[in-house]
Amino acid sequence: MALSESAISAQRSLLRGQRIRKIRESLTAYLFLLPAITIIGVFGLFPLAFAFYVSLHHWRIVRGKYAGLANYVKAIDNLAYFAFFWVTILLIYLAVKKIIAMSKEAREVGGKLSIWALPGLITAVGLAWFVKFFFTFLPGVLEIGMKLRGVAERTPEVFRKFLKEAWLEPAVQASFRQSLLILAIGLITAYLVHRFVDDTNRGIGYYSAFISVFILLIAGLMLGWLTWTEIQAAYAKAMEEGKELAIWSQLVTISAGFLLLYLSWIVWQRAQKTESNFGFAIRFGAAAALILGGWILIAELPPIIISGDKDWWRGLQVTAYYSFFTVPFQLGLSMFLASLLFQNIKGKSFFRLIYFLPYITNPVAAAGIFRVLFSGKPNSPVNNIITALGGQPLKWLDDPTGLFQLLFPHANIPDWIAGPSLALVVIILYNIWTYVGYDTVIFLAGLGGIPKELYEAASIDGADRFAQFRHITVPLLSPTIYFLTLIAVIGTFKAFTHVWVLRSAAALGTTDTASVVIFLEFSRNTRYGYASSLAIILLGVVLILTLINNYVASKKVFYG
Amino acid sequence: MANETMTETLRKAKAKRFDIAHFLIYVILIFGAIIAAVPFLWMVSASLMTLSEATGRAILPKVPQWANYIDAWKEANFSEYFVNSVIIAAITIAGQMVFSTLAAYAFAQMKFPGRDFLFTLILSTLMLPEAVTWVPNFITVTWLGRIGPIPWVNNWPALTVPFMASAFNIFLLRQFFMQIPRDLWDSAQIDGAGHLRYLVQIVLPISKAALMTVILFTFIGSWNSLAWPMLVTNSPEWRPISVGLSSFFDEAGAQVHLQMAGAVITIAPILLLYFTAQKQFTEGIATSGLKG
Repeated sequence: MALSESAISAQRSLLRGQRIRKIRESLTAYLFLLPAITIIGVFGLFPLAFAFYVSLHHWRIVRGKYAGLANYVKAIDNLAYFAFFWVTILLIYLAVKKIIAMSKEAREVGGKLSIWALPGLITAVGLAWFVKFFFTFLPGVLEIGMKLRGVAERTPEVFRKFLKEAWLEPAVQASFRQSLLILAIGLITAYLVHRFVDDTNRGIGYYSAFISVFILLIAGLMLGWLTWTEIQAAYAKAMEEGKELAIWSQLVTISAGFLLLYLSWIVWQRAQKTESNFGFAIRFGAAAALILGGWILIAELPPIIISGDKDWWRGLQVTAYYSFFTVPFQLGLSMFLASLLFQNIKGKSFFRLIYFLPYITNPVAAAGIFRVLFSGKPNSPVNNIITALGGQPLKWLDDPTGLFQLLFPHANIPDWIAGPSLALVVIILYNIWTYVGYDTVIFLAGLGGIPKELYEAASIDGADRFAQFRHITVPLLSPTIYFLTLIAVIGTFKAFTHVWVLRSAAALGTTDTASVVIFLEFSRNTRYGYASSLAIILLGVVLILTLINNYVASKKVFYG
Repeated sequence: MANETMTETLRKAKAKRFDIAHFLIYVILIFGAIIAAVPFLWMVSASLMTLSEATGRAILPKVPQWANYIDAWKEANFSEYFVNSVIIAAITIAGQMVFSTLAAYAFAQMKFPGRDFLFTLILSTLMLPEAVTWVPNFITVTWLGRIGPIPWVNNWPALTVPFMASAFNIFLLRQFFMQIPRDLWDSAQIDGAGHLRYLVQIVLPISKAALMTVILFTFIGSWNSLAWPMLVTNSPEWRPISVGLSSFFDEAGAQVHLQMAGAVITIAPILLLYFTAQKQFTEGIATSGLKG
């Protein structure tokens, strides 16, 4: 009896020791993470929220008035309402999708799902309220910097005094207390549910899932509300000025256009599987829908593009050309080189060393070399080679003429489909020159992962080199291809350094990619708010491209 | 007998065809290597030319003008930019070595609530285009300079602190730390070592290769960055070499030979590193898969 009691107490103390050790390990881990999380949080994560906040204001060096979506409308005109409307829909759709998936899973395993909705909702509201508090507190905190500028002695005491002033603002205090209260209620209800209704680990999972669902919903509703009030305000303003406004009808028609394009594409894919006359009819219908959808978009989008910011639209167009003309060539070339290097040859590491050279060097210096080589002067090195071969010198980096216009000088091609300007072609060449070595190294690693036996088996079955490439190499390399495509596309959309160095005034902005336009708006025109809205739009474009890439990859990429 | 000769001739024919194919492969590979290297060779050659040679049709200088380097060095303040860049890179690397290593170790070897969530959160910063961070980070940095004891803009903090921890390095180090066998930690624990001592005395010494890769990539990232340093420096005092070279290209418009000398000065440290630590580069990139 006494023995078992002491055994129980020993076990208990052992358990307690384990728990203490667990807590201590967690605390040490957080301590280890603290500096890195602080730096990445302040300079890597917070900027997204902060950029959005700045983009909603007239902000030139110091914060000005609240501007709503005015910056976005200035950049892409009424398409801004369209974009925000669909982001709203997307957020709500994601939330609903997650709820459906959760309830399906809960039904299968018999979890108590719905009981967690309430604590999840309250906690999510509390978190949203905390964000609200943060952005009520932020302007006061930002002002401290301005206030301190006038103070002769910048002691910590003065800073603390100003911080306290900002902190004691009634609105800040109120939202802070409210958020804490709501959060506390949320946590208490969660605890009660956990204690009395559902004490499984699955329950905690439902709780956090509901929190994210409701955060998505709240974000969606907030965005929806913002869009709605902005559209109403725009209509009111137009009414005052006696102008016509067609935001709603534009929204409906553009959405219908995109929807038709999407539907026709799906129908087209379905029809490919059937071989009958019926399939042909479906295909015909799909083609008709495609034409109709395309026509609607063509009728509706160009007027909007024209009334948006010309510099910005051109920046996006330049970026699109840049990406479209770079990525296929770059990947094709590097795949070719990698397959050659993969053969049984000598000096493999030497070639790899040299190919990698352009990628590793300083981009300012390397672009500087291209700047001299491809300078528009008749006696630039590249022009010297051309004249030595009997050709006419070109203006290269100084030439804003589109590629198609240059190739077909008598075809009278309009500017907006003229292709990349000759100056941009040089930047495309630079990009290919730089990244082929990098892509080749990654492709080589991918090729090294393909089992040799497959090729042997295929050649026994009589497959020639090309068939082997088509049916073994490409499918097994598809994860690498997908990865490199993603990196290359995003890379062209983020490109700044070499574009900046290779920029010439004579190219008339035909090489200014989206990043360069943002940089100029920010540093030269000091339009902080506007530059932020452009950056957010760029982020949206990059995200859409990533999603498309993922979608294609999910259909085509073969992961062993 | 007849059979044997037939296989023999077949083998020979095959070998011959193979030789031609091999020859073609070499031709293409060498051509590619020339394309990759020629701009650099031309840069070195032009940096040793006189102005008239550099703007003329010369391929090689008649007499190497070593004085170009001294001229460029002086004219563009390269000595100052060079030192600035070295200091900035050194501070950034020191920060990375401490902060990214600690975080990577925590993610790899420790158990704590919210680990996966925090890791995903950190990795998500890789998606963010740099352009999105310019405005907010500039405002943050200006604010920090105004409230703190030292200014951040036009000073080392703005140029280094935001880069003292990065998702990329944390990811790379974590991958490496996770391969370290768990037994090592168990035996260290028996010897009475805590996490910090285990990290410093056992983990770091056997992770030299990974740490070298981190140092190299951090150095190159710091040495090559242009946009952010342009935003946060407005005088030569703290201007790093990439910004200095970029403005030198604009200022010394026609002096091609000096521009190329400046380019050589900027590229030289990186090439030196690349050729000495080549294995780290290619392996680091091939295993981690991404950079920049």
